[in-house]
Amino acid sequence: MNEQTGSRAQGSRRDDVADVLVIGAGPSGAVAARYLAASGFSVVALEQGHWPDANEFPGRRREYELVAQKRWHPNPNIRDLPRDYPVDTKNSDINPLMYAAVGGSTTLYAGHWTPFLPSDFRVRTLDGIADDWPFTYEELLPCLEEIEREVGVSGLPGNPAYPPQRAFPTPPLPIGKAGRKAVEGLDRLGWHWWPGTNAIPSVPHNGLNPCVRRGTCMTGCPEGAKSTVNITFWPHAIKSGARLITGVRVREIEVDGRGLATGAIYIDENGRERRQRASVVILCANGIGTPRLLLLSRSKQFPDGLANTSGLVGRRLMMHPFSAVLGVFEDELDGWRGPFGQLVESFEFYETDPKRGFLRGAKWGAMPGGGPLGVTSFVGSQIFESDEGGTVEEVWGESLHKLVERRFNHCLVYGIIGEDLPEESNRVVLDPELTDSDGIPAPKVIYKVSENSHAMLRFHVARCTEAVEASGAIETVVVHQVPDTGWHLLGTCRMGADPETSVVDPWGRAHDVANLYIFDGSTFPTSGGVNPTATIMSVALRQVQHMIAERRLQEAA
Amino acid sequence: MSAQIDATLRETFRALADVLIPAAEGMPAASEVGVHEAALDHILGLRPDLAERFFRGLRAAVGQTPEAVARKLNREDPEALSAIGLAAAASYYMQPRVRALIGYPGQENRPADPDETPEYIANGMLQQVIDRGPIYRPTPGR
Repeated sequence: MNEQTGSRAQGSRRDDVADVLVIGAGPSGAVAARYLAASGFSVVALEQGHWPDANEFPGRRREYELVAQKRWHPNPNIRDLPRDYPVDTKNSDINPLMYAAVGGSTTLYAGHWTPFLPSDFRVRTLDGIADDWPFTYEELLPCLEEIEREVGVSGLPGNPAYPPQRAFPTPPLPIGKAGRKAVEGLDRLGWHWWPGTNAIPSVPHNGLNPCVRRGTCMTGCPEGAKSTVNITFWPHAIKSGARLITGVRVREIEVDGRGLATGAIYIDENGRERRQRASVVILCANGIGTPRLLLLSRSKQFPDGLANTSGLVGRRLMMHPFSAVLGVFEDELDGWRGPFGQLVESFEFYETDPKRGFLRGAKWGAMPGGGPLGVTSFVGSQIFESDEGGTVEEVWGESLHKLVERRFNHCLVYGIIGEDLPEESNRVVLDPELTDSDGIPAPKVIYKVSENSHAMLRFHVARCTEAVEASGAIETVVVHQVPDTGWHLLGTCRMGADPETSVVDPWGRAHDVANLYIFDGSTFPTSGGVNPTATIMSVALRQVQHMIAERRLQEAA
Repeated sequence: MSAQIDATLRETFRALADVLIPAAEGMPAASEVGVHEAALDHILGLRPDLAERFFRGLRAAVGQTPEAVARKLNREDPEALSAIGLAAAASYYMQPRVRALIGYPGQENRPADPDETPEYIANGMLQQVIDRGPIYRPTPGR
């Protein structure tokens, strides 16, 4: 267990009652801690992982691709580190991905910075399905712009896929040869494209170094150039007095006789049980970890789990079914060069067109093809195993040499993020047998890709294939609905005004527990069809600003 | 880990690796760049999770022709063949000679000039996208 504190917290006792306890030190927890501490709240944060050490990130070493498939794999079940909790995925079409560290899963994210669009907040009104959000794009925009300044987003203003907004704080990164190749096809078809917007600054910014295009973003950036909150938010929070305790695992949120949260019980790395008391508790443990902890916090008052009167804790899980299209070209494309990161993005088919046979849409991000092992395995597909009934010669021997010669340095990959609609049958529950290394019940995910998602991805794969062919691809490869792509864990503690149909109110406060809040992506009523970190952080800022403004009205244990 | 790789298993791996990655298409065979030598110990040290499947496959292969073993493992124990193949291929593509042949410098730093005007602005490509106008659906009522 390690603890970092600012000067104001030094000398404080462990059994002190904090004004606010934050559980989880990823993007939303960092936003909460930073702004609360700066406003004079005493803040304690508990994080199951540790501070990431950039010297451990493998991107500078020759074995980078090999260890990316194990130690740095985003699937905790494959990584199997002591700080990871296992997830039962036997009944899930998609594997949830995450990382336990200060910075959370963004330690391994690609840094695509794609805020939700106006229509994402009005899905029911516009398309007659799912739900509207309790606020609009325009209401959230000031928070987004403030977050973007802190994150150091690189990009070009004026994207016609979005309403006008303040310019990004750092210039766009080069789109490179692979990005130019993508643009060739999109231009021929008259389809939308825009240089990639990324949480990767192009110039030094807020403690971040500028991107050097090493291209190893998804195993941690050894250059300190990918924006993660361990660099951009936590140092400020700690300087303002926040206490961040790492290497500890929360087992339960406790409540008093009035049903108010009094803090949490956690287990340190020596297996000792400890208690952190607090006037307010904020959960920021992602769309799997947050409902898990609420379901673990059963009591006489809350027999179905904390804050679960609606029965929706854990339900409506959305994970963005994902497909990819790879185009192989005659030209050399510097396929290993970053950022990785999106070089180019397209929102051509983002908005609903009912004639397509499905509702809502998807965003495309063009990325480089990767190193020689990367072009043989391709976005999470099983490496070096022939299809069932296939021969050795199909994968190995001369075929391997030909494959690498043809694809390596000659391909670009379109990743397709499709909107996942909320369904109560897709859910997180507690596993009856599986536990983490502290003996705490592990989560079990029950998730089926919907017919709408199937139809959506089929359509987008077909259009994406047209795009790479228009770019001059000599070969295209489709990987349809890859299992290891559950990056975006959303919706399992829905936000809304009605306590019967939502877990938290429009400000992230649990309907059932007046001093318990959720600020992570669990609260999202819908998922959008984009990478969600920008919106997760913006919503967290909106909620914490309200909490600070209303501090005198806050009920506490 | 290396203690488990006795001379027999190492030789078995060498022969099998050359079936999986032969001299062909202008590329050297796996053993020509030493994937069965110290590089193998290094790989297994980096990925101890491969060991069980790796050794299971190799032990089943001793004394048989490597071509026959590859076919048998592919049919009966593809996970073992995958582990052996990954060890061979990962080591192979880490070798400087192989990287030079395929034109791979490794993941290298190539800083860009943030003040350079992007080509897509200078040549007007992006202007076509802008000229087509907004494509988002605005918030209803705004």
